Amino acid sequence: MSMLRLDSITRRFGGLVALENVSLEIQTSGITAIIGPNGAGKTTLFNIISGFNTPSAGRVLFGDDDITGIAPELIARRGLIRTFQLVQLFDELSVLENVKVGRHLHTRGGLLMAFLPRLAARREAEVEAAAQALLRQTGLADRACVPASALPYGQKRLLEIARALAAEPKLLLLDEPAAGLNREETLRLAELLRAVAAAGTAVLLIEHDMTLVMNVAAQIAVLDFGRLIANGTPAEVRQNPDVIAAYLGQAEAALA
Amino acid sequence: MNSLTSTWAKRGSNPVLLAVWGLASALVVYVLIRGGYLMSVLQIAAIYTVFVTGLNIFMGYTGQVSFGHNAFAAVSGYTSAVLTATYNWEPLPAAAVGLGGVLLCALIIGYPTLRLRGHYLAMATLAIGLIAYDVAVEWGSVTQGYMGISGIPPIGIGRWTVASDRGILVLLIIVAAIGMFAAAGIRRSRLGRAFVAIAGSENAARALGIDVSHYKLVAFLISAFYAGVAGSLFVHAIGFVSPEVFGLHMVVLAFTMLYIGGIGTFVGPALGALIVTLLPESFRTFNEYQDLAYGAVLILILIYAPGGVASLPKLLSSSSRRKPA
Amino acid sequence: MLDLILQSLASGTAVGCIYGLIGIGFCVIYNASGIVNFAQGAFVMLGGMVASAALKTYGIPLPLAGTLAVLVCAGIGIILERVVVRPLWDRHSTTFVMILATLAAQIVIERMTLIVAGDQPHSLPMFTDLPPLRVGHLAISYQFLWIVGGSALVIAMLALFFASTKTGKAMRACAIDPDAAALQGIPVSRMLALAFALSAALGAFAGVLITPTQYIAFNLGVPFAISGFIAAIVGGFGRPLGALAGGIFLGVVQALAIVVLGSAFKNIAALSILLLFLFFRPTGLFGSTT
Repeated sequence: MSMLRLDSITRRFGGLVALENVSLEIQTSGITAIIGPNGAGKTTLFNIISGFNTPSAGRVLFGDDDITGIAPELIARRGLIRTFQLVQLFDELSVLENVKVGRHLHTRGGLLMAFLPRLAARREAEVEAAAQALLRQTGLADRACVPASALPYGQKRLLEIARALAAEPKLLLLDEPAAGLNREETLRLAELLRAVAAAGTAVLLIEHDMTLVMNVAAQIAVLDFGRLIANGTPAEVRQNPDVIAAYLGQAEAALA
Repeated sequence: MNSLTSTWAKRGSNPVLLAVWGLASALVVYVLIRGGYLMSVLQIAAIYTVFVTGLNIFMGYTGQVSFGHNAFAAVSGYTSAVLTATYNWEPLPAAAVGLGGVLLCALIIGYPTLRLRGHYLAMATLAIGLIAYDVAVEWGSVTQGYMGISGIPPIGIGRWTVASDRGILVLLIIVAAIGMFAAAGIRRSRLGRAFVAIAGSENAARALGIDVSHYKLVAFLISAFYAGVAGSLFVHAIGFVSPEVFGLHMVVLAFTMLYIGGIGTFVGPALGALIVTLLPESFRTFNEYQDLAYGAVLILILIYAPGGVASLPKLLSSSSRRKPA
Repeated sequence: MLDLILQSLASGTAVGCIYGLIGIGFCVIYNASGIVNFAQGAFVMLGGMVASAALKTYGIPLPLAGTLAVLVCAGIGIILERVVVRPLWDRHSTTFVMILATLAAQIVIERMTLIVAGDQPHSLPMFTDLPPLRVGHLAISYQFLWIVGGSALVIAMLALFFASTKTGKAMRACAIDPDAAALQGIPVSRMLALAFALSAALGAFAGVLITPTQYIAFNLGVPFAISGFIAAIVGGFGRPLGALAGGIFLGVVQALAIVVLGSAFKNIAALSILLLFLFFRPTGLFGSTT
């Protein structure tokens, strides 16, 4: 059984067809990348998968469940956690607190717990420990008490991933995690992604950074003008003439 | 999305804040011992501390806005007044009914209203506050309209009432303190984290499984409850109620206190309430200038110190350590 | 009964035009900057007050007094923009802070007026001192004609301004994209001041028109602002013509509510319309422009 299955996803915005009949299967482990030129519909696809948008046609299946058109928080509850293309941190909170929010799904307690700090203390300690561990894993442990807005861009990205990991995703959706990172940061990101996948979380990422993609992805899907034009291993995709044409133009494809 | 929350200020680690606390406590003790007119002023400050603390949870923590929480104070205040003064109920059961009514109203109002954003939310809540005022004026058979209801008995249980000014002040301070510590507890909890996440980024919060609509409603209900408590306390402390008590004046006053004190902070509501109620007392004779002063001061605060007094330490330290451009 | 209803339709339409003018004032500022100016009602109040003071205290003839009132209020609008709005704008304050600041400004203006002019209501004489026109069983006062005619004229001039003049088009450009407008050499900050001046003038004009039919006092700013806001919402926030239609809709519904339910329901009727539209049709009767 696959982790995620997209069944002929189509999305129209008035006369514009952003996605057309995209069908894709993501496995329960490993790293899959979605690539494609700008405007190919990648983020729209992410939004549809994660519930921030609904398809005009087609279905999204997560495990056994049809999650098409379900609210984002309910999809998150099923174990599908996403990050955003433009980093959406809780700017006024500290780095540590940001990650603690990520633990929301796996902790319990509402208004009553707020008035019983003694009872809540043990749960809070667990949240604290889990959050600190994630900060160590992403290399942000020394910035724990810094307000999130004060971090440099690369670390903001890492924080968003740490926060997403706090939610114990079965499938982690990363929207351009390497955007704006320098080479060293990208290498560290690759390490992190490999570690995450090795620990059992499936990863689906949108990326433009080909080095990163070729390095970490086991499966690559290519979108162009809303259509899936290739889907396979990095080696297969690299040699696919349609892919080359999409990126470099027809003349180059003829030479390939 | 712009957030109105500040990071949870580490209590006790900031000398300026400690000094302010010390001053405020000293003042309160002084007034308690000396008695006199200032006690009524502090009573108002304590009641507004409760109201503004609730508003702080909804606006400061959760990043929403409400120009109409005076409606909830009115619902509970008038319920307490009518049940005790006209129907001779005991104050506590009457307040319980009032607060129940507040929660019901907040639930019914909250569902459609909280789906709104920005100036739509502001206007809808303003409309609700104005409707409450109009109902208080027009439903004369119950509320006695502009004349108001007087002779409201003091708070108490059976024969054991709190009728002296000093006693009332102590009671109000205790309630205000409980309210503030409860709010702090909320902030530190999983619930409070969800609130602040919503203020930071609703999309990110939803992507982490937080049901934003649900939590906005919870914040709304909690803050409405605080407003209701303030309303009932007010009518019992003052012994009189009229539509003006819970009118637009209350809204402006509360916002001034919230912003002067420091929105989103622990101490802000109390600080703001103290400052706003105490300072005008020095101009007691110039009553017409009071609201004018509130408005002008609020504008100045919004422009030059939107984080309020509680943010002054941060403001002062950042201007003395200005980094080169 | 029918006569009563028709009469209230007529008076409702007149008041509705006033609400429409105020609502258009909201739209002008909103379109130029995205700000909702809660002090809008203060200009309506000041328009009537200044005209009344000019007439009664200084003996200035009515047409001049009215014009003076409009100009003075336009000036106050610019002061409001410079002193309150601009500093917040420059500091990128949030929507809520802007709303709160303009609300505070409304309070300040209101209290200043109270201190200067006292709490007694003021009024203006009817523009035309003739008995009302008789149309069938209806009595249409000449003030009604002044209000409707004046509103129509001003709105037509405004439409012309925005469509045809260089400044008008520049203001529209700022509304659509201030950064692009700035790059084109349009002085965006001056446009904002102009928007406030225009909006204040509209409000003052409305105040001058309506004062003869009712009194004006320092505390009527907020009710006028709310009515104007409702007009703008009902018409689809940002649409000037929609605001006029919305205003007339509000005026008529309100007048009918008074006839059918009693005058106690005047405000509640208006506020209920506001809530209904906000909850169920926030884009108004005609939908919004964005």
